[in-house]
Amino acid sequence: MRLPDRVTGLFLVGLGSASAYGGWLLPPVPGQPVGPNVFPLVIGIGLALCGLMIAFGIGHTFEEEEELVPFEGGQPVAAQPRSRLFGLRALLPPTLLIFYVVAVDRIGFIPTAALIVLATSTALGARLKLSIPLAILAPIGIHLVFAKLLRVPLPAGLLPMPW
Amino acid sequence: MLKTLIEALALISTWEVIIVMMLASIYGLVVGSLPGLSATMATALLVPVTFYLSPIAAIAAIVAASSMAIFSGDIPGALLRIPGTPASAAYADEAYAMTRKGQAELALGAGVWFSAVGGIAGTLSLMVLAPPLAEIALSFSTFEYFWLAFLGLMCATLVARSSPVKAIAAMLLGLLVSCIGIENPGGVPRFTFGLTDLFGGIEPIPALVGVFAVAQVMRAMMTPEPPPLPRRKFGSIMAGQWMLTKLYHWQMTRGNIVGIIIGVLPGAGADMAAWVSYAMSKRFSKEPEKFGTGHVEGLVEAGASNNASVASGWVPSLLFGIPGDTIAAIAIGVLYMKGLNPGPTLFTEKASSMYAIYLLFIIANIMMIPLGILMIRMAVHILRAPRSSVMPVIMLCCAVGSFAIGNNLFGVITVASFGVIGYVMEENGYPVAAMVLGIVMGTMVEQAFVTSLIKSDGSILPFFERPVSAVLAACTIAAFAWPALVWVKRKFAEHRTVAAE
Repeated sequence: MRLPDRVTGLFLVGLGSASAYGGWLLPPVPGQPVGPNVFPLVIGIGLALCGLMIAFGIGHTFEEEEELVPFEGGQPVAAQPRSRLFGLRALLPPTLLIFYVVAVDRIGFIPTAALIVLATSTALGARLKLSIPLAILAPIGIHLVFAKLLRVPLPAGLLPMPW
Repeated sequence: MLKTLIEALALISTWEVIIVMMLASIYGLVVGSLPGLSATMATALLVPVTFYLSPIAAIAAIVAASSMAIFSGDIPGALLRIPGTPASAAYADEAYAMTRKGQAELALGAGVWFSAVGGIAGTLSLMVLAPPLAEIALSFSTFEYFWLAFLGLMCATLVARSSPVKAIAAMLLGLLVSCIGIENPGGVPRFTFGLTDLFGGIEPIPALVGVFAVAQVMRAMMTPEPPPLPRRKFGSIMAGQWMLTKLYHWQMTRGNIVGIIIGVLPGAGADMAAWVSYAMSKRFSKEPEKFGTGHVEGLVEAGASNNASVASGWVPSLLFGIPGDTIAAIAIGVLYMKGLNPGPTLFTEKASSMYAIYLLFIIANIMMIPLGILMIRMAVHILRAPRSSVMPVIMLCCAVGSFAIGNNLFGVITVASFGVIGYVMEENGYPVAAMVLGIVMGTMVEQAFVTSLIKSDGSILPFFERPVSAVLAACTIAAFAWPALVWVKRKFAEHRTVAAE
């Protein structure tokens, strides 16, 4: 997800202004010239200034372009043809974490974790021969370490472990 | 002195510490050697586990895992030309060129041997530098703390290999994140948007796990799998290392010293040390034309440098609570958690614990030699593990680990959000390390800033009046002005060439 500098710069300008304004609204400590309002104000102004500079391309000359690393034969990896939805794959890990938050109290740790492992490894191109055993073993292993040894209260849910 | 040393020995010679150190070392070696999994990530994922350990064992885990991971990043660098950690990126090309010349043993052996030497040199610097600095630090007021913390943040932006403006923006973003919550001078809810979960603020550790681990899994989704490692047999790994030490002892010493200095600077860490030392080695070498063709000299200097900075990075962390790099930032979190609050008084009140930390560093670096050799021999098998089996486990560790920090599912949401933030930032050239240091140091910077302002009745002048604070202020302003000067100079040069044509 590469955005033009203008977009990220202007976003920072907006964010900086919002936080400066938000800080401005906070009540000061009674009897003191400064309080919780000063710091967000200073940071917000700084952020907005940086955003402006980025939007105008100042400092861009310092950036180093990443080079493609050639492998053994000296040939760079060929870019694969990608559909427009390809970029959405990157959102899979955070989505799975949100799924964990929603599901873990309802169906328990082991089933939730198994689904997460299955989804991640399949998305990374694992065959079922690898991903299914992994989805069974990895949650049990993690459960053993965290719930049994470290006593983290992981919800039992549908599949309580014998320990 | 002797009594404290014996106390320290007693502290570390328990079964818990020994077992934890062994396991953390193996963990650090494996995670560091897998391309894409950095030393910072290895350390961050270890934090939830350290919750349940005794203070010294927790620190032992962090020390062992981080030292080992920095070394073992050299392994895929040499064998695949993919640095396992950013700290190995500076010389991955050189090491790979040696492998192609059939000198893989020499390159990897130099990695393990000079890493260990560097680590021990860094530890010695920690032992020598920290106590006298603690004496000085006792007389610091909030003005000095403010400038010191600010200088640290500025260094973090200077060393980032990207646009300094973007680095400063990333750092400010981190400071802004640290504003969230009620832990501020007025004790009012700030930027919480009425969410009770945000009242406590954003915890640094889930944020770290998010930007370093989840963002990495997201990146793996978008990039092709690295090529599998060709099978190979290794000859003797340590052969010839003593000869190299004698031949390049000056380069090694210079690497150690540069590493120590960069480590002590707040904000700059192992990756910067490796880059600077490699460049220095090339600059001062008698045979610079050999660099890049598989010449061991740069490897010696940079390898000695990056591990030296790991230990000396603890100097500002222990003294001021200002992290030397992202790994030290995690270590500070663990220190607070275990009641070893960083500060100059730590060296007088908890002297035995400090000695225990020195000893842990030395032991970890000695253990690195046998374990490192073992790891190099096993690397052929470990590096064959497909990404699709490693990343799902990382995902589970992220979820469970961030939950375990507060037994609170909000931690998992934090990890997911910071994964997205870290991914977008990194894709667009904003260095995430600067943001992380902002988050870790935000509360401290604000406290020092606001207290100083209250003391000075809102005036800026007292910030520059005390001698030490004036010097620190000058350094900070220089750090600000440096990129601007370079920029102006470049523009000027461009202008002249255009005019000449």
